[in-house]
Amino acid sequence: MHHSKPYSQVHEHTASTPVLVFDDVSFAWPGGVGLQHVSFNVPKGQFVLISGASGTGKSTLLRLIVRLEDPYQGRILLHGKPITTFFPPTLRSRIGFLQQQPVLISGSIRENLLFPFTLHSRKHCVQPEEQELQQWLTKLGLEGISLDAPANTLSVGQQQRICFIRAVLTSPDVICLDEPTSSLDRESRERVEAAAEELIHQGTSVIMVNHTSYHPTCQHMHLHIENGAVSVTS
Amino acid sequence: MTTFIPIAWHQLLIALGLVGISGAASLYYHLKLERDLLVGVFRTFAQLLAMGYLLNLLFGLNNALLVIAVYLLMTFISVHIVHGRVKEKQVAYFAPTTLAVMLSYSLITIVVTKVIIGAEPWWSPQYFIPIGGMVAGNSMNALSLTLERFFSELHTKRDQVEMYLCYGADYKEATESIFRTSLKAGMIPAINSMMSVGLVSLPGMMTGQILAGADPQDAVRYQIVVMLMIVGSTALTSILVLLLVRKRCFTAAMTLILKKDRSVE
Repeated sequence: MHHSKPYSQVHEHTASTPVLVFDDVSFAWPGGVGLQHVSFNVPKGQFVLISGASGTGKSTLLRLIVRLEDPYQGRILLHGKPITTFFPPTLRSRIGFLQQQPVLISGSIRENLLFPFTLHSRKHCVQPEEQELQQWLTKLGLEGISLDAPANTLSVGQQQRICFIRAVLTSPDVICLDEPTSSLDRESRERVEAAAEELIHQGTSVIMVNHTSYHPTCQHMHLHIENGAVSVTS
Repeated sequence: MTTFIPIAWHQLLIALGLVGISGAASLYYHLKLERDLLVGVFRTFAQLLAMGYLLNLLFGLNNALLVIAVYLLMTFISVHIVHGRVKEKQVAYFAPTTLAVMLSYSLITIVVTKVIIGAEPWWSPQYFIPIGGMVAGNSMNALSLTLERFFSELHTKRDQVEMYLCYGADYKEATESIFRTSLKAGMIPAINSMMSVGLVSLPGMMTGQILAGADPQDAVRYQIVVMLMIVGSTALTSILVLLLVRKRCFTAAMTLILKKDRSVE
């Protein structure tokens, strides 16, 4: 295990431009420790597992990537460009973000899965076909559920999986998953974890926060947060 | 046609006795409303008497600038009252609200006095101040409802707004349903009042004109104009204010300004 180095030192060892870079990023909540001098690179198709005790800033780290929070120091780069130079909706349309608590809109499951494609920032994207939606439902053990069913009739575990599918369908360059299996039983959890690991084969970089004793089967990078500092293990 | 019977001072004092019922109820049932009642009565007398003298003054001077200045002051006070009622303090919405309110109230009042009633001149204090006062008073209540609902929905649906933002929605898309719900909350009371008017309630303006000796048919036509004008002004004011305030609820990075205490896991 080694502590992360600033981007300028790490970058020269990297063959291609990483998809995502944290370059000496510090963030503080009023009166809290926050995150201090965080640096790491995420290459294309990399799986990153983030761990740490409750309240250490795991979710905050993900929120920084989509600019729901901004650091007071350091830079975050997407494809080599500081994320602050993107128009926020454009930035966010390239990053998938799954919140800790599943959030669905009123309407059918289909409407929930497809609503991102109704947004202005995604108006040129091709909407996934019915067959693809069905395939995803089956893959995550939701095959008995109709796409026309109202989303508010689903259990929390089912909602969590629908939100996962919704995030994946947008084909992001980077997908941030904040405890995507917290409300799932063992079988469903394994399905979601396997599906997340599969994404790296399509070139998606996956960043997952997980509380459980989860060990990815694929090659991965492990970020552990403790007292505001991040240690990186490959 | 009946003639107008003015109310003398001693008659006003008799009317004051009617408030005694409320006072007695408050004392008997320990409602602790005596103070509010006393202040309320005092303010009713003071504010209305002051307005009476002011209107007399305005009628006498017949000065356009003075009429408009008094009207803008009334609208400013109405925004101040709304600001006091709405609990949200994280968003600086006083200035945009004042601007939107002055614009929409003035527009509606001028349309009514100039185009519909055809008062000559359009700022004639006899028409402009009472009509404008009704626009301001009713829109003020609608605006309180709209803003209260908007901020409370932003708080309770914060996760949903953030979810929209995370999928690349701009702030307008992220708050579309909240915008609609809030606007509806502000518009519904005025629309509902059109349903009951004439059946359950005889509005103050119409009754006032009838008491002053006007033909009920004329009074009714005025009242219809007032009802329609209120429905229009509540909508226009709420829309303008929401459009300006909504933008102020987001940062340049398009994140919500309204913060939770701490949102790490």
